[in-house]
Amino acid sequence: MPTKTRPVEKFAKATAQCSVEAAAYGKCVVTDYNSIHKDMCAKEFLRLKDCFLAASKKG
Amino acid sequence: MFSLQTIRTSLPRRGLAVASPIRAYASQTPGNPMLEIFNRQTKHLQKDRAARNVEESRKVDYLKDEVALRLCERLFDIKRDFSNALDLGANSCNIARALTTPNIDPAAPEGTLTPPLAERISKLTCVDTSRALLHRDDDLPFNNEIDIQRDVIPNLEALPYAPNSFDAVLSSLSIHWINDLPSLLEQVNMMLKPDCPFIAAMFGGDTLFELRGSMQLADMERRGGVSPHVSPLADVRDVGSLLTRAGFKMLTVDVEDIVVEFPDTFALMQDLQAMGESNAIMHREAGPLSRDVLLATDAIYRSLHMEEGARGIPATFRLIYMIGWKEGKGQAQPLQRGSGDMNLKDLLGGGDFERP
Repeated sequence: MPTKTRPVEKFAKATAQCSVEAAAYGKCVVTDYNSIHKDMCAKEFLRLKDCFLAASKKG
Repeated sequence: MFSLQTIRTSLPRRGLAVASPIRAYASQTPGNPMLEIFNRQTKHLQKDRAARNVEESRKVDYLKDEVALRLCERLFDIKRDFSNALDLGANSCNIARALTTPNIDPAAPEGTLTPPLAERISKLTCVDTSRALLHRDDDLPFNNEIDIQRDVIPNLEALPYAPNSFDAVLSSLSIHWINDLPSLLEQVNMMLKPDCPFIAAMFGGDTLFELRGSMQLADMERRGGVSPHVSPLADVRDVGSLLTRAGFKMLTVDVEDIVVEFPDTFALMQDLQAMGESNAIMHREAGPLSRDVLLATDAIYRSLHMEEGARGIPATFRLIYMIGWKEGKGQAQPLQRGSGDMNLKDLLGGGDFERP
């Protein structure tokens, strides 16, 4: 019998497949975190989110 | 025009709301409302919900069990029997479990067997607000090894016990959710018999600083502002003055960091939720965290805190341990300041800090 997977577990699994994009986004935020502002790393985030969405569809 | 009298009577009287046989602390003067940081109802629901999933809740007891053990180790330094002890905010009676565990004396030579501390405690009263959590482990064998009474009370900040009734008050990982810590400590001091100890462990200031910081950065970058996702905690420096203010003597306060490795931030947050330790701040945002912020938090957490080659992310829990004694006759007194004739530096062999 398949056990019930919680949404957060699916979320975590999908995120794990996007480590490259996540690293790029993280690096962008961290390099200049003293002067952070909204959408500072929007480009990197969109890439991460695209990857995440693709991964969660697959899984 | 109106008189001062009318203003005073029109204000709500918070002090009268406490339904307790003992008059605890002085009632709040009208117009000086108590600061409420945490939502008690939310916290209660979180603990209750978490405990109803028994299996999951037991799985995440690793931190509370460990801290309860470390707290109980401190009892070895007090060569006394306690006929009546209180576990304040008992969670799932983790302290009772630690007390019934044999061979935990760190000072005992290796290979020797030491009896469980429960032999020195005739009666333990465990008190908490969540029935589900407090009674979760009713059927486990440790219950037979200690005389244990479980009291469910509606509010941990108004304790229903008579003055001078306990030989020791223990508390592990609970009082960091108390709104009015000065009042609670004063109640504890009153409940203790003279010359009896209060021994407690709580989460302190830098607990989960990684998560707090990463969430703030993610919030700023994604939404342009911050919202409190991690509850504020007391600082080590405050604890000493809090205990003094409540009338405790001969204080000992020390700090310890426990770093736990998690595979990702989601596992960390899931565990916190299963422990019943999620955010319960008064003005927190309603509803779950946005997915974008979660995704961003995980990425930022990794970039900031993951070490090269590590498998997971570290999460720091800072524990503050405190011991305070109620004033009593014939109690040992600290010596006068400046009366020492030996330099601690020579004794401990420490060096000076390097000056920049």
